[in-house]
Amino acid sequence: MRKLLILLLATLAPAPALAANQIALDNSVFVERVTTDASGKQRVLLEEPKVVVPGDRLVFVLNYRNAGGEPADKFVITNPMPSAVRFAGAGDASPIVSVDGGKAWGALDTLSVIQPDGTRRPAQPADVTHIRWAFQKPIPAGGSGKVMFRGVVK
Amino acid sequence: MVKAPVGGARHHTLLLPSSTVALAVALMTPMPAQAAGTLAGTTISNTASASFDNGSGNQTINSNTVDMRVDEVLDVVVADQATDVPTTPGATNQVLTYRVTNTGNGPEAFALGTIANVGGDDYDPVVAQIYIDANNNGTYDAGTDTLYVAGSESALQPDATMTVFVLATTPGSVADGNRGIVTLVAAAKTGTGAPGTAFAGLGEGGGDAIVGSTGADGQDNGNFLVSAATVSLVKSATIVDPFGSSEPVPGAIITYTITATVAGSGSVSGLAINDNIPADTAYVAGSITLGGSPLTDAADADAGDFNGTRIHIGLGTVAGGQTRTVTFRTRIN
Repeated sequence: MRKLLILLLATLAPAPALAANQIALDNSVFVERVTTDASGKQRVLLEEPKVVVPGDRLVFVLNYRNAGGEPADKFVITNPMPSAVRFAGAGDASPIVSVDGGKAWGALDTLSVIQPDGTRRPAQPADVTHIRWAFQKPIPAGGSGKVMFRGVVK
Repeated sequence: MVKAPVGGARHHTLLLPSSTVALAVALMTPMPAQAAGTLAGTTISNTASASFDNGSGNQTINSNTVDMRVDEVLDVVVADQATDVPTTPGATNQVLTYRVTNTGNGPEAFALGTIANVGGDDYDPVVAQIYIDANNNGTYDAGTDTLYVAGSESALQPDATMTVFVLATTPGSVADGNRGIVTLVAAAKTGTGAPGTAFAGLGEGGGDAIVGSTGADGQDNGNFLVSAATVSLVKSATIVDPFGSSEPVPGAIITYTITATVAGSGSVSGLAINDNIPADTAYVAGSITLGGSPLTDAADADAGDFNGTRIHIGLGTVAGGQTRTVTFRTRIN
């Protein structure tokens, strides 16, 4: 019991810092492991990896929660792509992305990349450096949700 | 609702926002593009941030950071560098060239071996040695390239390729058109096996080493194609006697025709025709012809000579499918 109390105190210690905003953003990464059962059926399992190898398919999940008493306006989540991960889509949420380190933003098919010879080519998923979800409406007090995107270990 | 602040606090205890951002940025820059994939031992870090305004101005918070270590994948590809390497019966130090590429994502040493009796060919080349291309010029250089010694392999960097030469002897008994195969095998020293096999703690950076799709070993066949040539000589004689007939009587002239035919896909070098003048006949001076053109009797720039007892015609190198025709005359004493 004492142990638990200490643990609780430890976790609560930085709470004042939270009180200022009361917004939580939790980041989880899963790897898709495809297994084939005896009948040849493929099953996709999501595991939380400690280690990965090139080619592994990753699913990044960001859970957000407004634990404060006020709505959170102009809510924007930004995730810089780890450089060893190639962007592989974000499902239906269609976030805006950057292919230049966060300077310019837009839908992927509206962006272009300058090539070494000075010409521009349409941006590819592999060019994505940042992903951003800009919420149109405030997150109400107590509101929560999640966004996700996929990537492949280069 | 009560739990939420605790959850949020827990996240905050896990990171210092500023240092995490710095870490994420630091990891982004120095990653070279590797066809073989992210280098083994690399840490992939992911951190997101959220900005918002809940009535007290714009604020930014960071999420927790998720770290994943990239394990080492063991993969190798061996590729023979020529369709058919020509050889000749009995030839030594015949060179087959292969390229061995580390397609894994960590430095790895590969053990090399050969298989000469693979089948699917006509003979077994006799493998003498394996050499590593020390000066990376793709060509075997005797005395320069490094003799391969099992057990003393050095690591090949990810994506790096080494050229390997297999030196073999072609048996003397082989025939034109025979094919001999030598398989070069390269196997990761850390281990090989079914894709997915893991060698705990043996990967680069202390992680696991995992066998990749190639099974961590690779092989390819190098082919020798025997290019040999055979020479056949046919000698014929026609006689013209002084009376307009063809009787072998004294004073009759014998015209000898020697036809050398070279068969096969190779060529013969140093081909020469020597013929002694038969007893009781005398060589007719200046009578040697080669391909219908006369040759002098002196040992000089042209191919033929007569030294008092025999005629000699040096034909040099003659390719398969070609013939050479020599004639000379003698008089019956």
